[in-house]
Amino acid sequence: MLALNAIRQLRYRPLRTVLTVGGVAVATAMLSDMLMLGGGIQRSFSAALESVGYELRLSPKGTLPFDTEATIRNIGGIRDTVESVAGVENLVPVLAQTLSITAGRSESPEPTASRQTLALGLDADEQGLYTLLAGRPPGDGEILIDPAMATLLEAHPGDRLSLGISSRFDTWGSDAIAEVSGTAEFVFATRRDMPVALPLADLQALSGRADQASFAMIRVRQGHAPESVREAIAAVTDRVEVVTLAGIAEQVDERLSYFRQLAAILASVSLLVASLLIGTISAVSVSDQLGVIAALRAIGVSRRRIVGNLTAESAVLCGVGGGFGITLSIVVAHYLESILADFPGLPTTVRFFVLSPGSLATAYGLVVAVGVAAGLLPALRATRLEVTALFHRAEP
Amino acid sequence: MNRTRIVVVNRATRDYRRGQTVVRALRGISVTVETGDFLAVTGPSGSGKTTLLHLLAGVDVATAGEVRFLGRDLAEMTVEARAALRLREVGLVFQRFHLLPMLTALENVELPLAAARVPRGERRDRATAVLERVGLADRLRHRPAELSGGQCQRVAIARALANRPALVLADEPTGELDRAASRRVLELFRDLNATGTTLVVATHDLEFAAGARRRIEVVDGRIAR
Repeated sequence: MLALNAIRQLRYRPLRTVLTVGGVAVATAMLSDMLMLGGGIQRSFSAALESVGYELRLSPKGTLPFDTEATIRNIGGIRDTVESVAGVENLVPVLAQTLSITAGRSESPEPTASRQTLALGLDADEQGLYTLLAGRPPGDGEILIDPAMATLLEAHPGDRLSLGISSRFDTWGSDAIAEVSGTAEFVFATRRDMPVALPLADLQALSGRADQASFAMIRVRQGHAPESVREAIAAVTDRVEVVTLAGIAEQVDERLSYFRQLAAILASVSLLVASLLIGTISAVSVSDQLGVIAALRAIGVSRRRIVGNLTAESAVLCGVGGGFGITLSIVVAHYLESILADFPGLPTTVRFFVLSPGSLATAYGLVVAVGVAAGLLPALRATRLEVTALFHRAEP
Repeated sequence: MNRTRIVVVNRATRDYRRGQTVVRALRGISVTVETGDFLAVTGPSGSGKTTLLHLLAGVDVATAGEVRFLGRDLAEMTVEARAALRLREVGLVFQRFHLLPMLTALENVELPLAAARVPRGERRDRATAVLERVGLADRLRHRPAELSGGQCQRVAIARALANRPALVLADEPTGELDRAASRRVLELFRDLNATGTTLVVATHDLEFAAGARRRIEVVDGRIAR
């Protein structure tokens, strides 16, 4: 009955209702998007980390993986030490190195296409950094490439590519030739990157970084807590940084605190706008209906019932506006995500806006709660007045 | 006819504070309304007619003196208890009708029935019957904007009658109506009174007042005659 009366009251003033619903929808969309933005990068980054399947990371002292070009020396020795720690199943070293890759034969006068890119040297049997799309993992003298790189170089499995460690493109020459073994999607590739992978030993030899790794992934045996294994490793070697996935996520979270603060401020502004909008509309509605409210009170309709009717209007406005707002927020999030996908240095698996039922429900719930509270105040104020005072205000 | 005292006002005074000034709207007024009465309360603007009606209805309470409704002292009742009493025992008609514009005539009349928790089916039947009684059987689904002033006032009268109250109070019921519509409202009130409805009407309209069974004139917060 209350909702039905509220809907009729809102239909009675269609323009005001449509404008208010529009305002609530925009405020809800903004709030919802800010909630998604606030935790999106952190959540998607954590999910990408977990998808790799190793619980601990080893990196040069004071850094995170991919943070710097520093390497861990004597990785073989460190591997032996770490693998002797109880709870460690194995350690997989990875070397990251910038390579110049050129398609075409070295004896031809000009290369057909070249590209500088990130190369990962790894053990193809023990990795989680890529998903094979075509062909096979790289063996000795082979290279696995990103599909975009394959398109750029017009390279197919079996084709040979020239690999140069120099970052200069003005000289045509190569330090090694590798055969394309297939294509793969890389977990931490950015949209501009076209990463490649080759066996660790090949990349170490090519870059002159024998027995070095940029970072290593450590798998923890079942039944062992990653944090206690991390502490055990830290106790046996102080030359490297050992972090759990939760630790990495925490550090990333700290670095993204600006995003969270910005999102929190904008979310608060959205809520404030929604509450002011509903409060104003409710106050205007109450003011318009003072005579009717006075008459209803005089007739004997209870204060609670009148407040319920007036508040139901706010609830319906927020409910409908919030519903449109959630839909709008999803559309806006997709659009913004497509723009921000080119954000420099951010892997494609990491997203700014992560749709989650929790964020959407929180945004919707907050807008409805704040809107109803904002609508409740003018209703309570009006019905607290004496009936004679209400009549006096309605008919001065 | 065995007449029961519905409301007894005994030396009632009502003061209002307007800033630093105390305005005495009623000065020791005494009135008794019995079943079957049709009392017209006349007097100039600001004489205290509306205040007297508000005291009779329990919308307001006296500053001094006593108002008893069906034997109960209204001053001793809470605001919500007086509201509940009004809902069942008092029907109110206002000069500006105060109908809900988005509801139909039928739904407006159903409002006090719904507030009194009358079941939906019975509510509809009673609202339809009372609208038929005021001559609006063919206007049940019309909204106030689709009705004339006289028809709106008849809807408001139907709303006042819906809960079968002991007393119907009307404050300037013809104040917004033309002469023809005013006459129809008077005829309706006379018919209602003839069939047992007790009425108290505050009015400027002396022709209307002449149609009542009894008349008092309030001047400066006192009964002049």
